[in-house]
Amino acid sequence: MKDIMRIKCLLSEDIESLLNQQIKKEAHSSSLYLAMASWCNRNGFDYSSEYFFKQSDEERYHQLKLYKYVLDMGGTAISPEINNIKQEFNSFREVFEDALEQEVAITQSFKNIAAACMREQDFVTFEFLNWFMKEQREEEYKARRALELFEVIGEEGTGRWEIDKHVNKIKYDSETAGE
Amino acid sequence: MAAAKLAISSTYTYTEVFSTPCGAVYQSDREGCWYIDFAGKLVRFDYRSLLKLKKSIYRVDIEQLLLDTSKSPEIELVFICACNHCYLLNLLQIISLKQLLEGTFAMLELNQIIHDRLYRTVV
Repeated sequence: MKDIMRIKCLLSEDIESLLNQQIKKEAHSSSLYLAMASWCNRNGFDYSSEYFFKQSDEERYHQLKLYKYVLDMGGTAISPEINNIKQEFNSFREVFEDALEQEVAITQSFKNIAAACMREQDFVTFEFLNWFMKEQREEEYKARRALELFEVIGEEGTGRWEIDKHVNKIKYDSETAGE
Repeated sequence: MAAAKLAISSTYTYTEVFSTPCGAVYQSDREGCWYIDFAGKLVRFDYRSLLKLKKSIYRVDIEQLLLDTSKSPEIELVFICACNHCYLLNLLQIISLKQLLEGTFAMLELNQIIHDRLYRTVV
């Protein structure tokens, strides 16, 4: 008897489901960053707004990368429904605290998928996830560095104005960063 | 795997994947699909439809249906998108179809393991 299941799709049902959940999480991140960009713009933080617009685009790109992978492997990629996006923040600092929290959650989520791939010996997907692992290193670094500006510069006087100006200059240029 | 070859039609042969007293699932290697003989009809399912059927049957909350004291009949309409057929099943039939599908997917998984171990080993 032919193994039709395997011929049609490389992914197991569990991995496919985890990847679809991740697609939703990336879409959620993208929308959340868009809301942050809006809040920053409304409150006069132009550079931070621009920073979050870029972050939102990146998350959307991550979502598509996962989406196409699921399709390429013969799976069913599900276009996610996104709701409950936080639109209001209590302070400039809270925006960055939430951004870091979001990145930590995304990293944890990728770790869970990688662990499932190891359990199932799905090394093809595991290899695909390496790109995201590397990316999360950069994302977490940038989010952490942005939050650290609040400690280094301080919010007194023109502090927030200075922080805003510096946010867009954050770069992760570690020689091991790759692309 | 024990493969009972059945001739459903004269053109192709079909391999029995799993059967219970209530029904059976056959695979057609040539057509790349499965036939489910259940509730008095034989229905063809491709790869995606079979997974959708599995999902919709597994989603039925049997316990909730059993505990339901309202007078509504315990009948569930199982409709699968992009499939020409639907099932109108009572509670016992849902349980039977679930058993049939569980056995089928266990066998398909076993078949995959056998293929991986025996035929896909690069020497």
